[in-house]
Amino acid sequence: MKIETIAIIGRSALGDEIAQLLAQGSLKVLNSTLEQDYSAVAEASDLVLEFLSEDFDLKSKVMRDCDAKCRRETILATTTPNPWITRLASQTTRPDRFVGINFVKHAPQGKLLGQVVKGLQTSPETVEACVEFLQKSGITPVKLEESPGFIIDRVMAAIVNEAALMYSTSLATIEDIDKMVKVCANWPLGPFEFADSIGIDKILETLDTLACHLGPKYQPCFLLRRMIDAGWLGKKAGRGFYTYS
Amino acid sequence: MEITRICVLGAGVMGHGIAQVCAQAGFEVNLRDIKAELVEAGISKIKAFLSGSVERKKLTQAEADAVLNRIKGTIDLREAAKDVDLVIEAVVEDIEIKKRVFKELDEICPEQTIFASNTSAQSITEMAMATSRPEKFIGMHWFNPPQLMQGIEVVVHERTSSDTLETIVALCHKLGKTPGICKDSTGFIVNRLLQIWYNEGLNMYDEGIAEPQDIDTAYRVGCGFRMGPFELRDMVGLDTGLAITETHYRAYMRDQFKPPRCLVMKVKAGELGRKTGRGFYNYEKST
Repeated sequence: MKIETIAIIGRSALGDEIAQLLAQGSLKVLNSTLEQDYSAVAEASDLVLEFLSEDFDLKSKVMRDCDAKCRRETILATTTPNPWITRLASQTTRPDRFVGINFVKHAPQGKLLGQVVKGLQTSPETVEACVEFLQKSGITPVKLEESPGFIIDRVMAAIVNEAALMYSTSLATIEDIDKMVKVCANWPLGPFEFADSIGIDKILETLDTLACHLGPKYQPCFLLRRMIDAGWLGKKAGRGFYTYS
Repeated sequence: MEITRICVLGAGVMGHGIAQVCAQAGFEVNLRDIKAELVEAGISKIKAFLSGSVERKKLTQAEADAVLNRIKGTIDLREAAKDVDLVIEAVVEDIEIKKRVFKELDEICPEQTIFASNTSAQSITEMAMATSRPEKFIGMHWFNPPQLMQGIEVVVHERTSSDTLETIVALCHKLGKTPGICKDSTGFIVNRLLQIWYNEGLNMYDEGIAEPQDIDTAYRVGCGFRMGPFELRDMVGLDTGLAITETHYRAYMRDQFKPPRCLVMKVKAGELGRKTGRGFYNYEKST
């Protein structure tokens, strides 16, 4: 199955960036917002990629609408960071052609990663088609089974949680923890710098999901909840582990 | 307190590099190991490193000679430690041996001499309490290779004095290094967070979520790490990695530090990484 035309539904900063990147290659990119006739746009494409807000019911409705209109061979893809792939897929008539493609751009060099997430019913052909079009577009693909936090959110949330525990038990300062992992282990960012840039609310959400599905070892450090209560959500709020002016 | 003379114990991988960094910063250094061959091997590694620096025009020959002149090799502990302001211990990672060495030093050294251990895994507190000067005892955890790695974890325990801490932090700056202060606890800052970094990746593989190459790629491309957890385990050695993981698990008794099954099984199978030609990846040349 060859992907030539891609429908991007919904708008976000990352979605716009991806759309631009895909269009630079040989791919044809069609954009649609929810206010427009998105299922008509989906109908003309080989792959539908949604960049909607993280609202399960909304995503489910849009995917069902697209499913009703799209050709049999069209792949439906969600960019959600949540483990909703199999659940969303089951709402459509094509769970074998339903997949997650979660884009990650945390590296300071600005490289893009595409986590191609296999739902329980996703076919290997669907996964391979996605891997291929990502590679062609200059986005590095990795394949994985659906699982809470996928690869990136899981490891980063676990690291932030441990660092928060170290700080809240007064073993070291925020600055020294960040500084040491950068100079001693060559990490591009310290855990607190990372958490502030992602948003403390996002980190907490990931940890809650991980704890719910994978067990209590992911139970969030209580400091993170207090930070949310105080409105210290990170860079976007002007205050997180660090203060921003 | 002013430091001018330093004794480095152990001329191995870490010790010789630490001695070199101290000498390059202008300190007089006594480098001591238990056998003359070990001391000589350490000093010839320093010579080789310095001549490389001269070739790359980072140092003049005269500067390199001066650095070497500031390093005195010996196997005599008393000779090495009797009139120094600081001892940096980099002997084998065995708590009993380290405690014995510090007890001997405690007898030899003047009372103002500071004791620093380069341990990455042993308790600073336990070593400090083997001496009569716990307030002058501190951890100074360097990274390999000491000549190139910028960071030093400065590890304090309950009874380390603020004067000792300030002296060592100031020393790190004089050595051109970046200090980070941490209370005595297993893994300090960096190794403890690295354990989580490794274990999450290895556990994902054990859980059937993704293959090592996909996890490594995700770490590198998605987050900007230089290497992924499987590549780095293979490079450092799986047996070493498992030992460090077990140390953390024993100390914290928390599931996130539990040795992943894939690591345990690889070590049992003798596939220890690059050094054996096989680990998580295969390094054997195809025939």
